[in-house]
Amino acid sequence: MKKIDSICIIDDDPITVFGMQKMLSLAVDCPQVESFVNGKTAIEEIKKNFKNTGKLPEVIFLDLNMPIMDGWQFLDEFVKIPTSEKIRVNIITSSIDRHDKEKWKLYQKKTHHVIDYNEKPLYKAEVARITKKA
Amino acid sequence: MPKGSEIADHKYLIKQLPTATAFVNTDFELVYASDKWLSQHNQNPCEAFGKRIDYLYHINNQLVNTLGDCIIDKIDRTFEECKYDPSGKKWFEWHCNPWLDSKENVIGLIIRTEDVTQLKLSEINLGRLRSKLDIISEIGKIGSWEYDLIADKVIWCGVTRKIHEVENNFEPTLEQGVAFYKEGYSKNLISMAVHDALTKGKPYSEKLQIITAKGNEIWVQANGTPVYEDNRIVALRGTFQDINDKVKSEHKTKANETLLRTLIDNLPLNIYIKDKESRKILVNKAECEYLGISDVNEILGKNNFELYDKDIAETLNREDQQVMDTLVPILNKESRIRNKNGETTTFLISKIPLKDEFGKANGIVGISHDITKLKQNEAKLRDLVNVASLQNKKLINFAHIVSHNLRSHTANFSMLLEFLVDEKDEKEKQNIMGMLTNASNNLMETLENLNEVVAINTNIGLEKKPIALYDKIQVVEQNLTAFLKSHNATIINDVPIDAIIQVVPPYIESILMNFITNAVKYSDPKRPPLVKLSCRKTSGSTILSIEDNGLGIDLKKYGDKLFGMYKTFHNHKDSRGIGLYITKNQIESMNGRVVVCSEVGTGTTFNIYFNEED
Repeated sequence: MKKIDSICIIDDDPITVFGMQKMLSLAVDCPQVESFVNGKTAIEEIKKNFKNTGKLPEVIFLDLNMPIMDGWQFLDEFVKIPTSEKIRVNIITSSIDRHDKEKWKLYQKKTHHVIDYNEKPLYKAEVARITKKA
Repeated sequence: MPKGSEIADHKYLIKQLPTATAFVNTDFELVYASDKWLSQHNQNPCEAFGKRIDYLYHINNQLVNTLGDCIIDKIDRTFEECKYDPSGKKWFEWHCNPWLDSKENVIGLIIRTEDVTQLKLSEINLGRLRSKLDIISEIGKIGSWEYDLIADKVIWCGVTRKIHEVENNFEPTLEQGVAFYKEGYSKNLISMAVHDALTKGKPYSEKLQIITAKGNEIWVQANGTPVYEDNRIVALRGTFQDINDKVKSEHKTKANETLLRTLIDNLPLNIYIKDKESRKILVNKAECEYLGISDVNEILGKNNFELYDKDIAETLNREDQQVMDTLVPILNKESRIRNKNGETTTFLISKIPLKDEFGKANGIVGISHDITKLKQNEAKLRDLVNVASLQNKKLINFAHIVSHNLRSHTANFSMLLEFLVDEKDEKEKQNIMGMLTNASNNLMETLENLNEVVAINTNIGLEKKPIALYDKIQVVEQNLTAFLKSHNATIINDVPIDAIIQVVPPYIESILMNFITNAVKYSDPKRPPLVKLSCRKTSGSTILSIEDNGLGIDLKKYGDKLFGMYKTFHNHKDSRGIGLYITKNQIESMNGRVVVCSEVGTGTTFNIYFNEED
């Protein structure tokens, strides 16, 4: 089983969070899986942690449509974090708006992090494939 | 032969004859001559007598022969003789008679000469005049005619005959002459004119049609004047001119003019011609109508300043001058022009220089196409396109919302069911079942929300009614009494009691309810919530302002999402992100709009525009 140090799930839907956690537990060996209900709480926690330990979660699962701070706004903040480390951000969305896909390509060019785009629903095999270090 | 004394008597007698007379013997020797004869022929009496006259006057052989014939045949002869003398050419008429003695024997000739030089000269002059007249008559196709009333005889000159296409010797009666005129107007008129000329002495000059002998129909100018003798009309004299080509070309020019006029008057364009000083010298019907004038003469000769206000006239003058100076036409330039009545018309204007024979402009031709209606329709169309594209955008947005929301739920179902199949633990199974029920409830709720939005958007035709806004706010406030009390909230209704707005009644209630509850829900915990409602009128709409002292919204961050579906901006347990979305849809379905201004920490104001026009 792959070993990942830290995973972060950002999604306002508790069922999705539950499902992700369950699938991750079967796919990888990770001692630290954290979840947040929107981008704001997530970025605040990530920044705080980075400041204290200099570490970032190795894989992030990111929903796009969220209250208060959505996925794109989270990404805007996240790419500003001064790090040379490469983080894998898996966008997980139920959006079929082609503008979202175009936006994703734009963000890919804007950052050295790996940004992936996935449409819901996700199954175990898929989760296992995209849960890896960048 | 007379005796000596007889001769002297005869000589003296003949000398005194008043006519120029000479007597010659059979040898043509001059025997007697009157003084008049001698002086007429410049003869010296001392030398002339006894000499042959053919020698004296250098008369030619032919004349001598004639004189001989006279003697031999005993007959009278008259002939003309022309000779040159220092004063010029002279003509003499010779009358020769045989000179007989008492026994009827020819003893010589009696010759009487007459100086006819004057007569001859005027004859020559007349001939010259005649031929001149003939030339004029021929070239101008002007013939002459005369009707002798006494002899009842009509004389036509050659040209008149030629115009009638008759033989050279044709001589008509008066009736025949009139018969050539075309049946109807022409014949009636000429009959009357001739009659009046003969009876009342009234001259005439008419443009009429005749049918020639060869059957050709031509136009002629027939003139007639009575000729008087002793105060009585004795004849009619006149000219007769072929004016067919002239009349035909006149008719053609007139037909062309009529065609052109009909054309420019019936084109749906304003057409005019201006002279060098920008004065209108031709306008068509459409231009008259545009300028609000029924009589063309009120426009002709007027310049731009007389027809338009100063600012417009200056622009027009500049354009006119530019076209005349540069000779470059202005083509289809869009211009808005205000006439003196203050009406503004949008034209497509063309101005083309009118050049003289030296290529210089001496005016312009203007063509203006009134496209005001077209422009209005274009604007209407643009509005329509805007509405359509807005609707389309809304539709796509809604489709995305629907698909997104339904997909998230179905994705959950599918994921949970996958877990359920593999799950061995009974407790975890129960847990997953619980979540499935939850997901199902969420799906139901989402569907209900979407349904509501669809209902609003499909009921665009819902009837609007006049509503007293103040009363409506009071009703909503009453319904919310418990909610307001529990939040310690105050509503200030500053709307005038008589303010009436046109709205769909259930919508206005829902709108007020939503804004008021939102204002209270997102109140600042540091101060008791205060919601102030006021309203004012602008042209075409009534604006309802709902102002609160709540948390405020960071519009920079959330402005574009404030009215989106399932968007929430505050960590609040009741936030569902549906209220404002539905409210906005309701406002827009009544052709209104909503504008927000807000400051974080101070409060938010929503301005709702109710469109009064529809």
